[in-house]
Amino acid sequence: MARVGVFVCFCGANIADFVDVPAVVEEAKKIKGVKYAIDYKYMCSDPGQGMIRDAIVAHRLTSIVVAACSPRMHEKTFRKALSDAGMNPYLLEVANIREHSSWVHQKDKKAATEKSSDLVRMAVAKSIANEQLHEISVPVTKRALVIGGGIAGIQAALDIADARIPVVLVEKSPSIGGKMAQLDETFPTLDCSQCILTPKMVDVASHPYIELLPYSEVIELDGYVGNYKVKIKRKASYVNFDTCTGCGACVQKCPVKVPNEFNMGIDKRKAIYSPFPQAVPNKPVIDAEHCTMLLKGKCGICAKVCEKGSIDYTMQDEIIEREIGAVVVATGYDLWDPKPYEEYGVGRYKDIINSLEFERMVSASGPTGGVPVRPSDGKIPKSVVFIQCVGSRDEAKGIEYCSKICCMYTAKHTLLLHHKVHDSHAYVFYMDIRAAGKGYEEFVKRSQVETGATYLRGRVSKIYQKGEKLMVRGEDAQIGQVVEVEADLVVLATAIYPYKDNPELARLLGISYDKYGFLSEAHPKLRPVETAKAGIFLAGCTQAPKDIPDTVAQASATAAKVCGLFAGDTLLKDPMVSKVNTEYCTGCQNCVTVCPYQAIVTEEIPMGHGSKEIRIVAKINEGVCQGCGSCVAICRSMAIDLAGFTDMQIINEIVSI
Amino acid sequence: MDYTKQIQDIAGRLFSEEKIDLFIGYRNTGFDENQVPVLIKHYKDVDQLLFTDKSVFNLANYLKYEHTRNKRVGLVVKGCDSRALNLMLTENQVKRENLYIVGIACEGVVDETGEKAQNCVECVMPDAVIYDEILGTPSGKRDYQVNADIRELDGKSLTERQEYFEEVFESCIRCNACRHSCPLCYCAKCCIDQETATLFQGANTTSSAFHALMTWSLHLAGRCVDCRNCEKACPSHLPLHLLHKQNEKVIYENFQEHLAGMIQDDRGAFYKYSLSDPDDFIM
Amino acid sequence: METEVKEKIVSIEKPHLEAPPDWQPVIMGILCNWCSYAGSDLTGTSRLQYPPNIRIIRVPCSSRVDPWFIIKSLQTSADGVLISGCHPGDCHYISGNYYARRRFLVTKKLLNLVGFHEDRVQFSWVSAAEGPKFAKVVTKVTEDIKKLGPLHLYKKENI
Repeated sequence: MARVGVFVCFCGANIADFVDVPAVVEEAKKIKGVKYAIDYKYMCSDPGQGMIRDAIVAHRLTSIVVAACSPRMHEKTFRKALSDAGMNPYLLEVANIREHSSWVHQKDKKAATEKSSDLVRMAVAKSIANEQLHEISVPVTKRALVIGGGIAGIQAALDIADARIPVVLVEKSPSIGGKMAQLDETFPTLDCSQCILTPKMVDVASHPYIELLPYSEVIELDGYVGNYKVKIKRKASYVNFDTCTGCGACVQKCPVKVPNEFNMGIDKRKAIYSPFPQAVPNKPVIDAEHCTMLLKGKCGICAKVCEKGSIDYTMQDEIIEREIGAVVVATGYDLWDPKPYEEYGVGRYKDIINSLEFERMVSASGPTGGVPVRPSDGKIPKSVVFIQCVGSRDEAKGIEYCSKICCMYTAKHTLLLHHKVHDSHAYVFYMDIRAAGKGYEEFVKRSQVETGATYLRGRVSKIYQKGEKLMVRGEDAQIGQVVEVEADLVVLATAIYPYKDNPELARLLGISYDKYGFLSEAHPKLRPVETAKAGIFLAGCTQAPKDIPDTVAQASATAAKVCGLFAGDTLLKDPMVSKVNTEYCTGCQNCVTVCPYQAIVTEEIPMGHGSKEIRIVAKINEGVCQGCGSCVAICRSMAIDLAGFTDMQIINEIVSI
Repeated sequence: MDYTKQIQDIAGRLFSEEKIDLFIGYRNTGFDENQVPVLIKHYKDVDQLLFTDKSVFNLANYLKYEHTRNKRVGLVVKGCDSRALNLMLTENQVKRENLYIVGIACEGVVDETGEKAQNCVECVMPDAVIYDEILGTPSGKRDYQVNADIRELDGKSLTERQEYFEEVFESCIRCNACRHSCPLCYCAKCCIDQETATLFQGANTTSSAFHALMTWSLHLAGRCVDCRNCEKACPSHLPLHLLHKQNEKVIYENFQEHLAGMIQDDRGAFYKYSLSDPDDFIM
Repeated sequence: METEVKEKIVSIEKPHLEAPPDWQPVIMGILCNWCSYAGSDLTGTSRLQYPPNIRIIRVPCSSRVDPWFIIKSLQTSADGVLISGCHPGDCHYISGNYYARRRFLVTKKLLNLVGFHEDRVQFSWVSAAEGPKFAKVVTKVTEDIKKLGPLHLYKKENI
């Protein structure tokens, strides 16, 4: 006999202001099967949970309904309250009367209250059909995969490996390091970026627990948390990394010149190349799209000069398979292309560059010897205009968010410019200065004071050529006037965009992404490093724009999550999986075809009724089943049911209102 | 179309060579021109067998039952019947090695009025698609055409269709003859009979009939071969083909799939998907 | 028997004769947990408003939706049904929504054949980030059902 307890939450004013909570309680008492109904200010609080625990015992309740916020919020919390009272935690149902009622029907209290009562009715009816479920134990492969070898991926890999857990670190380009390797100095300390990064890169290369796969991409991921199988394509480098000494003779002699991506196209690299001097691994690769030997069968100079005979033009791409238990995605960012800002003359005027190009110019090891130069004539600029928010915070260009790092790096740029070109003057057109980190506000102040940079609050409307100079027309909102600044060089702080192939990667991994391509976290406030798919975590700008300290923190957080996942010998799995009733199963195996995880196989069972014959029925591997219910709906005989969302539970919900 | 002699010869030969335990074919009712299915167990009874344009029923239906399971069975199948057999094989209900299939390159059967049956007029594949031997000259695949009655209903208004089908569902007496006569309805415990009481009702009401018939036709969507066994069996003469042909039309026009049972090992449309399936009806 | 049955079947093309002035439709909403239910939660968190006629059932995936969910809803209290899942390609369970959309189309067309207006059963793809879209979808479906009036076809006599 059902004895349901109903607990309705005020949620402070969140529910109470728009739903007549006492009325919902009174209606609940009238429902057949409800033996106890009560309200409370904050059901999720300790006293609130205590009320549930006490009521379970005092009223011998057989299932519990909590009418409060979304089950996606506190289902786990209330399930724990049930277990603490000695009741199976899956005998709980949550009626969502906040996100689905009080918050969305604020203008009609009567309707919101009626709807809330209906939602309670549905939850009560469903809970009566709830069954006792027990978590399932599955094995766990203690090896992690980190996708992306920038500072986020490097930090995550090091932290996981330091916990003596093997890591496979996959990086698309020939070297790890990412964007941080391209930076000159970092705010707010003006540390040399390469100097603080390269020790970590070397640690990765030499760490006994890290398998570094450079020049590689993930092409397939199968399985589920603790039990993934990944396929990685290691692109042919045409260089035998085991014998190559990194002497660089091949690079010197190669006749082909290609725009150098690491230096943002400012100078050229060879077809056989290492991206930068401190590359890890420090072995060159051949760019198959530009190598004359690979394209036309002519040249072969690098092979001739290599003393170790390390060049191998016949090398093929390699498919590497690994079994892993968790994945960290750290694919980073790219700079947005400011082409839509036609009014700025992007592409038309040579002396307009973006912030990474400026960064490369001021780098001591960069293409211009550490001094910014005008691309048009190579002269050193004296008047440099920095424009903030190019793309960011601009609905008209389709990017509504703030890219977070540009105010800070522009302040840094003014300092770097001042150090390199003492008699230069910087102008910064800005909308707001966002300097919220530790030491950040002080840093911006320093840039203004030390360099005498002119900060102009206003947007730039137009850039045009006047002789050798560029005229930057914008607003100085503080004096309420339009101003024009004569510039030798214009630097655009363009928006940062997530890695361009994120949508494709997300589909491969089975995780979500937003309209910009940023990978989606499980919850923006409380679960910023997890995704909706158990075992897959996010670190760095692939999730949202952020600076290096936050990236490193997030990367370490993912490492903590991975270590937590691998802490035991087995993983406890959600028991809401499908099960076959062999009495009804006809063995047609349509379910086997539709299961996305190949969790269904067949087994032979006796025909029964005294017959010695056997018949074939379906069998679901509860360790592999992820509980989608595809098989349930496909089974014509209704021989399969999904625990937690059974046919009985759902029909009860439907007929209850 | 008359293969009486050939069928008798084949059945006789199979029995005398001890290749089969049973032969499923057609015989006269004994009191009129019509034919009914017959299960022949002995060589001496093969002269009951005949095959003409009145050999209407889909004999694959009998492979569902206890008396044929795990026996070696010979049977006669026309185009549509053989497609049902293909699906039964794909869905593991029958073992191929237990069957001797006599296929017919069918020229169409007649209905009660003596005219060529509607499903034969619209038939896409008259020749048996699976067989051990075939009688007659195969004429090949024909173009798909939307069922004439469905085309007519498409032209009617929503109210007219409501009234029409209300009568249909009202007339259903929930006898389940349609299920029993359909070769592809082989579930030992039909979902409609299960005791999830609030889910289905055995009661003989219009609303229960609506639910049962909708569910039944959706379970046959992508699997129905239009043999019309169900309509022949229905004591209330319900136009059951309307539901099946509607589903077939939607599947044919929207998903790039073969018709039910045309190809070996091909499952029905609901058990597959294509990335280019239409979803402009989804917001 | 005949009279009893005819009383139940009322043409739905004359809603203004049928619906009492204060009639409010009931929409049964079936949302997949990972995309649409999360999206509907976001609608709530963003305090976007929509009509209060919808009652939501949570399922793990749109592929869990069996046509009987739709049929039973229409036969009981619902005047309309809305089913919502993840965008194709983004299903949390990889392929569930691909199978579901085939079933959805055939079921919708079959119901239309036997006399249900196409707007009685509607479908949407709403992602976890599309709070505003969910509000728009519910508003549209509610308005469509209001125009069609109360549903009388094949309602269950007793449960």
